[in-house]
Amino acid sequence: MTRQMLSTMLASASAVALLLGAQAAHAEDLKLTALMEDVPETHIIEALLPEFTKATGITVEFQKLAYPDMHQKLVTQLISNKSAYNVLEVDFLWAGEFPEAGWLAELQPFVDKTNFDLKPFIPSMMDLVGRHKDTLYLIPMYNYSMGLIYRTDLLADAKLKEAYKKETGKDLALPATLADYVAISKFMKKNAGVEGAAMQSQRGDPNSMEFSNYLFANGGQYLSADGHVALDSPEAVKALELYVDNIQHGAQKGALSATLDDTFRLMCDGKAFSMVTYWWMLPQIDNKESCPNAAGKVALTVMPGGHGESGGWGWGIAKNQSAELQDASWKFIAWVQSKEISIKRAMQGHAPTRSDVFEDAGVLAKYPYYKQALEVVASGMSFPIFTYSAQYEDVLGRQLSLAGSGDVKPATAIKAAASGLDELMKKAQ
Amino acid sequence: MTNAAVIETPKPKRHPRDRWRATGWKFAAPGLSMIAIVMGFPLVYALLLSLSSFTLLKPKLQPFIGLENFRAVMADEYFWHSVWVTIEYSAVTVMGEFTLGLVIALVLNRVVRLKAVYFAILTVPMAMSPVSVGLIWHMLLQPNLGIVNRLLELSGIGGVDWLGDPEIAFWTVVFVDIWQQVSFVILILAAGLASLPKEPYEAAEVDGAGDLQQFWYLTLPMLRPVAAIAIIIQLINETRTYDLVYVLTRGGPGIATDLLSYFAYRRAFLGLSINEGAAVSFVLLLMVLVLTVVFFRLVTRRA
Repeated sequence: MTRQMLSTMLASASAVALLLGAQAAHAEDLKLTALMEDVPETHIIEALLPEFTKATGITVEFQKLAYPDMHQKLVTQLISNKSAYNVLEVDFLWAGEFPEAGWLAELQPFVDKTNFDLKPFIPSMMDLVGRHKDTLYLIPMYNYSMGLIYRTDLLADAKLKEAYKKETGKDLALPATLADYVAISKFMKKNAGVEGAAMQSQRGDPNSMEFSNYLFANGGQYLSADGHVALDSPEAVKALELYVDNIQHGAQKGALSATLDDTFRLMCDGKAFSMVTYWWMLPQIDNKESCPNAAGKVALTVMPGGHGESGGWGWGIAKNQSAELQDASWKFIAWVQSKEISIKRAMQGHAPTRSDVFEDAGVLAKYPYYKQALEVVASGMSFPIFTYSAQYEDVLGRQLSLAGSGDVKPATAIKAAASGLDELMKKAQ
Repeated sequence: MTNAAVIETPKPKRHPRDRWRATGWKFAAPGLSMIAIVMGFPLVYALLLSLSSFTLLKPKLQPFIGLENFRAVMADEYFWHSVWVTIEYSAVTVMGEFTLGLVIALVLNRVVRLKAVYFAILTVPMAMSPVSVGLIWHMLLQPNLGIVNRLLELSGIGGVDWLGDPEIAFWTVVFVDIWQQVSFVILILAAGLASLPKEPYEAAEVDGAGDLQQFWYLTLPMLRPVAAIAIIIQLINETRTYDLVYVLTRGGPGIATDLLSYFAYRRAFLGLSINEGAAVSFVLLLMVLVLTVVFFRLVTRRA
């Protein structure tokens, strides 16, 4: 080997090393930012982020915000020339609006390029936060279907059982209908020294989501099977009457200004019999360290009447960013929604969107209530998803709040809410 | 051919007043340019938006649709309610801030010791962002776990539904707003009081005028220009209130606190209609202008 050959080889090796080094250094330079809702799910993923950075060299930063502030913050970034957020956490309420506005990158090319398997994702979740008009824009991240969390100790209390029987002639047991639930809630407020229901009836998203459970539980619906507005029905009026009755006679003081945080604190403090809420709030309340007054005394069930509100979040990729950042964003989504990471998340209380995670033996052994959770998810019905879903929440929320405060009658509020939905759906066409 | 002598005609001398005017414009030019950029451009752009079909879904200024956006928002049955609530809210908060601010400023004007400490404490709320103020009061006024109701219950008075009762929520937001904004009024009025001449008071004392007479016939008239400025600034601020409503009530319960700026936000960002949001903002601007002009005329006419 001549000296010239040796020096050529050394030079080439150095060049390759430099290139590899540069590439590694570049990967390390890549940083993704995501705007995330400040809920337990986000904290669970955040704890796993070092694993992703170790595997790919890409760092991910979560900026956490309360839900009501997210939409505006996301929209202002998505209409700009370059979004500060690369990976997007998209609520199902925006799953019609964002694609229609052209803010999301199509994900099918990424799926094809990386052979990402979509089959394990629960079909209802793919419909809710996956495809929009047959195009894949989102990968389901987690679900937030809603059910009823209640106090088992109060329901089993002998004295309360006797008093309830005496007062109503019925047995005190898990309610089978919405009317039964509201009756028990009012009874508990009067007799059990707790609030009958911790209600999140603040105008807007909180009361719209909460009322949807009452609506579905009482057999009402927003849209008919053929997509026409079907809200103005006797079932819906009755559901709103029961909702208002519970706000005024079963719920805590200040229910009309309360949000999820307020209801959680009340339930956690052992000061409420029940709350209609996201099923994954159960492990938060059933926690001896953070909620000693309620832990061991709470259980989850499907809304009386058999149906509650179904909801979920999906991962999307902002279109207004470079191809390199889009690729990096996809790497993150594929990683975080892989079976391995989804199971790790589930072991920490994650609300899965993949059936193989719900069925995992280890997950079920640790969290037996995932069985009820699957029932809640499977029986859930959806709020109308279209371009103006977020605005419709506001329209509906205003009418519910007016009815809750006694300013308008439930029948009038339902009529106005139905008419508002009809107008917005026509505007979206 | 003779060489014609070049006769130099002297340039006409500029009047000193013209020179002063030109110099004034030169000095003002940098400031005016900045104002044109940071205020003029957004204002013109917002006006264009309010006359166009620009939405977040179709972000194009064309076609112009004239006053259609104004017609659309004014046709909304809740728009006029928001206009009325905004007028009511602005009037009540400004009156509250001015009355309380004047009382405190008068007291502070007589304080000799630790004046700086009192001023430092009073400016704390003003230095806080309205969102922080809203969050703090939201926690304090929480009906079940908040400290205010806890104290009321301990003293034998029942807890109050501060933000969930439509009859009370409006006044709660007014109270929180006054709590934060009154410091500004105090500072302005205190500065005005400190700058008042002493001689009229000495003469009044010689003439035997009491404290109340001195306040009514000397302090108030002499303080009028400063007070007018404080009231006008606060009127503008209060008409635009958004943050507190957003954090505390979201316009509820029902429509009890649905101020016009929150109405504009919802049109723009929830309804994705930036054009209609801009139209509402121009109505708001018009309201502020009318209120300011009317108030200014009232004050200057009396002066």
